[in-house]
Amino acid sequence: MTGLPIAIAVIAIAFIVRRLRRRVGTAPVARRRVSAPWLPNASSPIALAASREITQRVRSRTFWVATGVTLLAITAVIVIPALKSNGPARERVGIVGASSSAVAAAARASAKQVNATVEIVPEPDAQAASADISHGKVDIAVVDASQILVRHTLAESDGTTKAQLARALAVILGEQRAFAAAGLTSAQAVAIGHLRPIPIRGVSNRTSSSVEQGTAVVGLILLFVLLSQYGTWTLIGVMEEKASRVVEVLLAAIRPTQLLTGKVLGIGALVFTQAAILVGWALGLGSAVGSDILKGTAPTVLFAILGWLVLGYAFYSWVFAAAGSTVERQDQVQAIAFPITIPLLVGYVSSVAAVSSSHASLYVTVLAYIPLTSPFAMPVLVALHAVAWWQFLLSALISIAATLGMARLAGTVYRRAALRTGRRVGLREVLTTRAQPRSR
Amino acid sequence: MTLELERLSRRFGEVTALDGLSFEVPAGRVFGFLGPNGAGKTTTMRAIFGLTDLDEGTVHWAGRPVGATARGRFGYMPEERGLYPSMVVRDQVEYFARLHGLGVGAAAAAAGECLERLGIHERAGSKVEALSHGNQQRVQLAVALVHRPDLLVLDEPLAGLDPGGIDAIGEVLREEARRGCCVLLSSHQLDLVEDLCESVAIIDHGRLVVAGDVDDLTTHGDRRLVVRVEGDRTGRWAKRLRGARLSEVDGGAVRLAVEDGADSDVILDAARKAGRVTEFHFERRRLSEVFREALG
Repeated sequence: MTGLPIAIAVIAIAFIVRRLRRRVGTAPVARRRVSAPWLPNASSPIALAASREITQRVRSRTFWVATGVTLLAITAVIVIPALKSNGPARERVGIVGASSSAVAAAARASAKQVNATVEIVPEPDAQAASADISHGKVDIAVVDASQILVRHTLAESDGTTKAQLARALAVILGEQRAFAAAGLTSAQAVAIGHLRPIPIRGVSNRTSSSVEQGTAVVGLILLFVLLSQYGTWTLIGVMEEKASRVVEVLLAAIRPTQLLTGKVLGIGALVFTQAAILVGWALGLGSAVGSDILKGTAPTVLFAILGWLVLGYAFYSWVFAAAGSTVERQDQVQAIAFPITIPLLVGYVSSVAAVSSSHASLYVTVLAYIPLTSPFAMPVLVALHAVAWWQFLLSALISIAATLGMARLAGTVYRRAALRTGRRVGLREVLTTRAQPRSR
Repeated sequence: MTLELERLSRRFGEVTALDGLSFEVPAGRVFGFLGPNGAGKTTTMRAIFGLTDLDEGTVHWAGRPVGATARGRFGYMPEERGLYPSMVVRDQVEYFARLHGLGVGAAAAAAGECLERLGIHERAGSKVEALSHGNQQRVQLAVALVHRPDLLVLDEPLAGLDPGGIDAIGEVLREEARRGCCVLLSSHQLDLVEDLCESVAIIDHGRLVVAGDVDDLTTHGDRRLVVRVEGDRTGRWAKRLRGARLSEVDGGAVRLAVEDGADSDVILDAARKAGRVTEFHFERRRLSEVFREALG
């Protein structure tokens, strides 16, 4: 059964490699030195165009302001909650009565359960303990190992450390009272006190999908924001070259596909570097301050999301680039960007709904094989364990093939639309007529 | 090396931009590509760079169809000037040098030399958007020249320049031609480039009207006689002269095409009868006259 998908994958890879080799074989600039068949060297027009994109954007104040603001926002999100908690909570437990050492031991055991520490405060009597609670000198008081006092009655929804400690301590002390009532020796009581839960083992090696689904939701948000934001960068970049008319000088020197590829790769390199810096900063900072953000991510889903971020950017950047070549004013950008964001939205919303329902419907499964929506739907299928590796690979290959086709189409649209100035150019007009200058 | 345009045809819907246009541009000369607005000059220049498709016809360079490799050795200055506004002048010129195949060091050296030659080296560190129109024009020319192209194609390079700018750019173009470059420049102002160009091709409605050396075109055929009569603005006195045909009346100066054998004294007498003669001399034909006469 697995033989057919493997064969499909091998044939598809061979086809794509052949296409790439053929493209480079007909590349026009004879003097460039190509060390790898499809990788541009530093002097190739593609690399030069990419390098210019990176250099100019890195030099712009806007880029650094945007990056700085994002870093500050991430820092605030991570550090502020961590500062609030600032390590394990320290609770003061007042103890009234003879068996104070046993109660103190129970309090420490309870604190360990709720990731807290305790400071034991001996109290002479219940009245003094109540007064200290009222004045905030102690947080909890245990009276004769039979009653726990807190300042206010605990609500069921109270999730504070003090409430958790009080509940845990109540259970432990209740158990000790039950052991005593049952007449158990102290050795028996200790043996019961050391009980360990029996192991729970799944019949398969997969873990529960709740963590993966959580990772998928965060990943979907990340995908949507990054794809739409970085796609818009590409669109505006292309539009600006048309608006400044520099595109005609560029196209007289290099091919449209070289210029566009350089732009896509340049912006891509920059945005992925920026994204890596932001994620790296978030993870590093989270680890340093003991934030919870490192906990609860599923590596497989995470890799699927990152992989589809690259594939999705590769596909959509061509779409945005082609769209950018049809406009030349800032006010036209929004009008042309909106139709492109519709499939992004459809993929995003459908995928979030699928994760929320924990059900991989036929609809989402179909979306996972359509290059417009697969960057969202396929990671969701991974999170829901609803896809085999070869299906994942097949979808990726479809996306790569569609990206090559879109690159070709974008090159045609770009070549035909980039020199038509003075008005917005319709897609139908571009596809049905050939390159046409504004004036003769 | 020669640029050869053979039977170029291009239609945009109902509009015929190029209609079987053919001519050759030799190296080592400043070649004027002239014609009124809408004659097809920009379409032709774009066709040289593959920026517009052709219905028919071919563009050859050095005897071979023009491909991307040959275009890498061309320089282009389009009619609608185009530079990165927020990019520094030096970086911009270096960037285009590198796109045309120069290494990092060579591009930097060539950019510096080119900017100095065009007199804008002091603004090399400025952003393009901070420059005046004239200096932006010079940067645009630097972008076209920086890689020492074999063919230089300039679409209306003198448009919007003051006389000083025209002289400066004209001198650079002559120098380029002298080093062996093939210089093709377009203009709809025929007389403006008459002194600059050594050869011209004049087109109209996508067809070649006349082509040749400027000296041959302006001295060939009937002699040109300029007569100015004080107070006369219409040149009515010159409309029925034997052996001389009224070519144009421009600001009171009457230009006559004088046939071989015609007596200029007869013309002078006719002028004196109309009033006091303040100007009377022979001159070469102007390109605009060549154009009008070729159209009939």
